[in-house]
Amino acid sequence: MKKYIGIIILLAGLLFISCEPEFSNPVDPDNPNVSAGNADFSSYVAIGNSLTAGYSNGTLYLSGQKNSFPKLLADRMAEANGGEFTIPYLEEDVDNIGGLKAGGNVIVPPRLVIDAGEGQVERISREPTQELSPKPGPYNNMGIPGAKIYHYVYHGYGNMANLAAGAANPYYVRIASSPNASVFEDVMAKHPTFFTLWLGNNDVLAYATSGGLGVDQTGNQDVTSYGSHDITDPGVFGFLYNQMLQALTSTGAKGVLATIPDVASIPYFTTVPYNPVPLNSATAQALNQAYAQYNGGLQMAKAAGLITEDEMNKRIIHFHAGRNAVVITDEYLTDLSALGLPSLRQTTRGDLMVLPSAGVIGKPNPQNPALILGITSPLSDRWVLTANEINELRTATAQYNGIIRALAQNYDLAVVDMAGAMEELISGIRLEDGSVYTADYFSGISTLPSLFFSLDGVHPNRKGYVILTNKIIDAINRKYGSTLRKYDPGYFDPDIWILPEN
Amino acid sequence: MKRLSVLLTVLLFSYTVYAGGYRVALQGARMLGMAHAGTAMFNNSEAMFFNPSGVAFLDGQFNFTFGISLVKSNVKYQNEQYLWQAQTENPLGTPFYLYLSYKENEHFYFGMAVYTPYGSTVKWQDGWVGSHLVNKISLKAIYFQPTMVYKMNDYFSISAAFIAATGSVQFNKDVNRFLTDDAGNRTDITLNAEGISGSGYALGFTIRAADRISFGVNYRSKIVFKARYGTAELNDAPVFFPRKDAFEAELPMPAELSVGLALKPFKNLSLAFDVNRTYWSAYKSLNIDFKSKLPDNKMPKNWRDVNTFRIGAEFAFNDNLAVRAGYYYDQSPIPAGYFSPDTPSLDSDNYTFGFTYSHKKFAFDFAFLYVDGKERTDSYNFYKEGLGAPRFEGTYVTNAFVPSFGFNLKL
Repeated sequence: MKKYIGIIILLAGLLFISCEPEFSNPVDPDNPNVSAGNADFSSYVAIGNSLTAGYSNGTLYLSGQKNSFPKLLADRMAEANGGEFTIPYLEEDVDNIGGLKAGGNVIVPPRLVIDAGEGQVERISREPTQELSPKPGPYNNMGIPGAKIYHYVYHGYGNMANLAAGAANPYYVRIASSPNASVFEDVMAKHPTFFTLWLGNNDVLAYATSGGLGVDQTGNQDVTSYGSHDITDPGVFGFLYNQMLQALTSTGAKGVLATIPDVASIPYFTTVPYNPVPLNSATAQALNQAYAQYNGGLQMAKAAGLITEDEMNKRIIHFHAGRNAVVITDEYLTDLSALGLPSLRQTTRGDLMVLPSAGVIGKPNPQNPALILGITSPLSDRWVLTANEINELRTATAQYNGIIRALAQNYDLAVVDMAGAMEELISGIRLEDGSVYTADYFSGISTLPSLFFSLDGVHPNRKGYVILTNKIIDAINRKYGSTLRKYDPGYFDPDIWILPEN
Repeated sequence: MKRLSVLLTVLLFSYTVYAGGYRVALQGARMLGMAHAGTAMFNNSEAMFFNPSGVAFLDGQFNFTFGISLVKSNVKYQNEQYLWQAQTENPLGTPFYLYLSYKENEHFYFGMAVYTPYGSTVKWQDGWVGSHLVNKISLKAIYFQPTMVYKMNDYFSISAAFIAATGSVQFNKDVNRFLTDDAGNRTDITLNAEGISGSGYALGFTIRAADRISFGVNYRSKIVFKARYGTAELNDAPVFFPRKDAFEAELPMPAELSVGLALKPFKNLSLAFDVNRTYWSAYKSLNIDFKSKLPDNKMPKNWRDVNTFRIGAEFAFNDNLAVRAGYYYDQSPIPAGYFSPDTPSLDSDNYTFGFTYSHKKFAFDFAFLYVDGKERTDSYNFYKEGLGAPRFEGTYVTNAFVPSFGFNLKL
């Protein structure tokens, strides 16, 4: 038997010279074979606002910047001879809580989190670690959170001295190449060969998130007279947009323009229903008694011809057993204060409650704790976007988008249809691979993988930004014949923090 | 008996998948040399597995066979769109067998078989892209088969056997494609079910038309492993997640029907042909029903019945040395859209060779199997995440190298 042991060992050795199976066409991640087409990515500059900066969960934080769509895009461009892409990282924000401090005072709050103990969304109860210390640019990512189109060309938007008056933006103060530079000047200093331009969101959004507190400035070209919550005149928008494109394309740069989504469709406005107040019939009857005098006054006003029957019906306050609409003050109603009648009505399906109203409705009025907000104490304008206000927003947004599409054609640039993407999200986007994403607000762990938005209800979460990046890549590849690679959003953490207590 | 159980414990490492679902067709080094085509080919007590009725045609009063295989299998994965790559780091598998047959008289034969027909260990490299489907899965099953054979005459015999099976399953995967704890470690779940058992039977017959032709049929029934008290443990979970749960699950060891023909055209040459039909349609879905906190997990499988075609030859130089070679074709039971990396079973070409050296009462068998899995691009479409079912797509290729050793004693 002994002489066979050698043979056995030899044969067993076959096991270890065994080779691995091979693919007929093995992939090579180190050499992805990507083409830039007829675009030149050697100096890509991102022009925009918070959405371009990577803002999420109600603030800008370090890991958000690293997941911004321009950064994700630049990483793919790097595979096609793309150049360096610099970002004004918040390097002191070591725990990714975001926010800003200046001279020890918190000037921008930190991120929103879910406080599982309280069952609500709150700012994290920690102080930002990032100081507003200048790190002059220019950078490749010039997304400035909060910037409107006219801010972008305003000299002084980065001047510390203007901060107190609200005429400067701390995020631009931090990175302005000089105190009186404009953001757009800094963009041009990078000599962009390629750009993404996504401006205009804040020109309508600030009006919307304030519940329509501001003024629709359509027709008023004097931006110095604008308040921070106003809708920017589409004429001003078009003029400035055209100027920027003229400058950008004068040196042959190519780029992508992004349209403005309908802000009234984001979860900031669609999460709290118009009728969130549950009542039993006894309480409803008691409340109806309390409003009997106001309702009677409306009858008289109508009889006197001061208001139409339509308006009267709209204004009559009536509660019933079940879910009830809230009582609001509506500036668009006929002023009957001379009769001692406030401008009250109940919300309807056409009104949108803003997200923070969830923390107010049904709570005692701080000025008079006997009164309940939204029921016996009307909600003020800032908590609700009325049908009239929504109309103003949609009109302005449609005009901006018309301008963007027309200019894209004039300058032969790519367009990415963010407005269309938003529409799709509302009914749920089913991606090619079978995954589904919706415009819903956070409602629990089981649907977390399908969330597009972050806890602020306005900005995407990480997965959302990846989906946007893929849309932009599609638009670039289609227009310029490049073959930039897309990302799989499924593998990105949505980055929504759930804390046992806060 | 105590020694036997110690031996089994030592051997019960892990068997590695290489073809045909999680069936591991390595139940005899002698038959493996000729493509594992043993339903009508009776050479030693390996017949206790292939077709126990064949035991009636063995020489000697008492036949004993023990054997073991060393399975080194490799699976590679790639995704062309995202340029993903991964491969397995499977441990060496060691399926074994132990057969005993005893001739009571001219008509009655008894036997005992212990073998491991199903099993699989697939371990993908850490942090790979399919971790939400599987990191590591390890199935172990061991069959104990007391058998009775009745030989009617020199032309016909039948067999009946009872099978008691026991086994264990361990399964680890990440809970989804992104979840981590606060420190950034991916959250994973380990399912563990031990001491699960089931029972079944095997029936067979052999017809010998002459010394030169045999025909055999053997049927082994399905055995369903039912795990009643499995434990589930979440690792690296965020604070708000449950840590532990219990579960119930079922896993079928499908039935197999084998039909074989053996010919002896010349004195020194034998040829064997086998067709095995494995009733994988029993594997509809892997359902893990958690008992308290975790949501139930359903993984549709919808496998289909498949055939394996085997052809082998043996040439005997003299009474001491016989050499063998064979080929078989194995079909993947997995339909398109159900291809999941926990059982990456591909159509395969299989090449075998082997020899036996006999010396008086003893004989030593050696066989070597090379499995060449055919490259396949497919996806698993039934993984649920949030409101959607993201497909897991890619191309797979496998191979395996299996030396197999057998020791025989004939009295």
